[in-house]
Amino acid sequence: MKFKNWALVATCALALPLAACGGSDSASTPDTTGSSSNTDGGSVFVTGSSTVEPISIKVGELAGTDDGGNIKVTVEGPGTGDGFKKFCAGDGDITGASRPIKEEEAVQCADAGIEYVELAVAIDGLTVATSVNNTAIECLDKAALYALIGPESEGFSSWADANTLAGELGSAYTLPDAPLSIFGPGEESGTYDSFVEFAFKSIAGDRGTEVIARADYTASPNDNVIVDGIESADTSLGWVGYAYYRAETDRMKAIAIANDEGVCVAPTDETIADGSYSFSRTLYIYVNKAKAVENPAIGTYVDLYLSAAGVEQVVAAGYVQLEAAEQQSSVDAWTARG
Amino acid sequence: MPIVTDSQRSATRTQVRQAITQQNRHLPSIALSVTLLIAVTFTLLTLFSLLARIVTQAIPAFSERGASFLSGTIGSEPDKVGIWPGLFGSFAIGVGVLLIAVPLGIGAAIYLEEYAEQNRLNRFVVVNIRNLAGVPAVIYGVLGLIIFVGWLKPVTNGGTVVAAALTLAILVLPVVIITSMEAIRAVPMGLRDAGYGVGASRWEVTRDHVVPYAMPGILTGTVLALARALGEAAPLIMIGAITGLLPETSLSGKFTAIPMLIYSWSGRPDSSGGNIGWSNAAAGAGLVLLALVLVFNIIGIFLRNHFEAKRVGT
Repeated sequence: MKFKNWALVATCALALPLAACGGSDSASTPDTTGSSSNTDGGSVFVTGSSTVEPISIKVGELAGTDDGGNIKVTVEGPGTGDGFKKFCAGDGDITGASRPIKEEEAVQCADAGIEYVELAVAIDGLTVATSVNNTAIECLDKAALYALIGPESEGFSSWADANTLAGELGSAYTLPDAPLSIFGPGEESGTYDSFVEFAFKSIAGDRGTEVIARADYTASPNDNVIVDGIESADTSLGWVGYAYYRAETDRMKAIAIANDEGVCVAPTDETIADGSYSFSRTLYIYVNKAKAVENPAIGTYVDLYLSAAGVEQVVAAGYVQLEAAEQQSSVDAWTARG
Repeated sequence: MPIVTDSQRSATRTQVRQAITQQNRHLPSIALSVTLLIAVTFTLLTLFSLLARIVTQAIPAFSERGASFLSGTIGSEPDKVGIWPGLFGSFAIGVGVLLIAVPLGIGAAIYLEEYAEQNRLNRFVVVNIRNLAGVPAVIYGVLGLIIFVGWLKPVTNGGTVVAAALTLAILVLPVVIITSMEAIRAVPMGLRDAGYGVGASRWEVTRDHVVPYAMPGILTGTVLALARALGEAAPLIMIGAITGLLPETSLSGKFTAIPMLIYSWSGRPDSSGGNIGWSNAAAGAGLVLLALVLVFNIIGIFLRNHFEAKRVGT
């Protein structure tokens, strides 16, 4: 009877979710890393910033090997804010953050009774970039950037349009009369947040404007699209994460940033690590204390994260390692978690 | 005396022959046929250039990696990643969508076409189902996040492949219902009348005549719906598909799917170091997704031919 087959299919459809809610993780992945997974080291779930994600992935790959303890690390990167939201709701063992936890987020965690350890793990620099063909611009100061990309720059279609405003703000630079096309990540991105904070916050505070970028630039969540845009126009302007710039140095030219004394500092590993390059930020991971006590795999993973092998992954992921003293204070904070 | 003379007849004959055989010189007709030809050429060119690009980009991923590109897991190195977690997720989603959306969709269509009375309420229901087919996928993602990941967490265990399959099943359900309704409506009324005439009940007529006769049309709709479900990334972003690191795949754990991997990989920097960049890996994943959709389609076409052959036989 044909219809009996259909009835069977319908029954299966209803049974599928029920069968799947058994809860036991029956791993059906074929072993591809070459490591024998006869010893199960437990599993860790990392969420949070998409900027920290590449480091967490690399450390996770290391933790999945025999040497790393055969830990099954799952990593996602919905963003710093989303990460804290999940983390403070008890979902996720560790969350990555491209900025320190905000007060309201800390309150959420406290309300949910979640205690955490904050560990600095790496430094990320932002790179303001232009086309490699742009010989007129080598260095800019914050005033010029505010005049070019800040909230009061809407409608400027030539670099020279920004001169009046830049002069008013005390910029040392006169901008050329050349078409201005701007490319950058959109508002949802941590890289956007960091950029407006580094470049606009102090000036916007003085002028009583919002700490945002002009609305009429080409925003994309896809870094490749931003790089394509910067490369496409000779007098383009844009910003990307330093790791991204370092992977694509032949397609973009980094613009040096003048510090408060007016000295131009270009983004390099050294200037970012010693803090002389002003557009850089510290990256953190936050570890759920109670879960780390319950699940030893979390401890093993964080130990690896802070070890010399972990620092190697920071560099491999394109970020800059912390100064020795700061690295040590992270290790101390982790050891003293209690 | 004949009304039409022989000479008149032969003149008409020549005219008709000319009208049939001579070249069509009607200008608007020529313009239209050229325009239509351009439309077809443009569509095909776009399609083939897209396919050619995907295939050429994907070649390094397959030639250098071979089967390990299919069986490996996701990670940080474009020349070491594999798409197994995505393949597992997409396949499970495909099967889940079939098991959930097809019985529900066909059931709803049979009810609305064969059983429901043609009153105002039922017409309202049908209009709403048609509207639901046009709701953007990301809205279904929000729905899935709230209902299947949130409220039904005890059943789905949060953001799992089960929640994804349920969400995408709901997403394609209107399409399945609408195409099934059209197929059932196309069943000749005489078939039903003949059934009733020999004393069959409505249930027997529906089971033995209407549904088998409508099956080819229903399957066409199902294949289209499934292809859509397999290609969606937006609802999966909402549900929380993983693109970073996923060492184990299961129905009750975290999941990912091929469209998510394509989305994530195509945004990563293509450093010129290795032979395989992220764009190659993304193109390779795209090719695998195409193949997966093709496999489901072939099964659908096979079943459709099976039912069509049966229909001719009766």
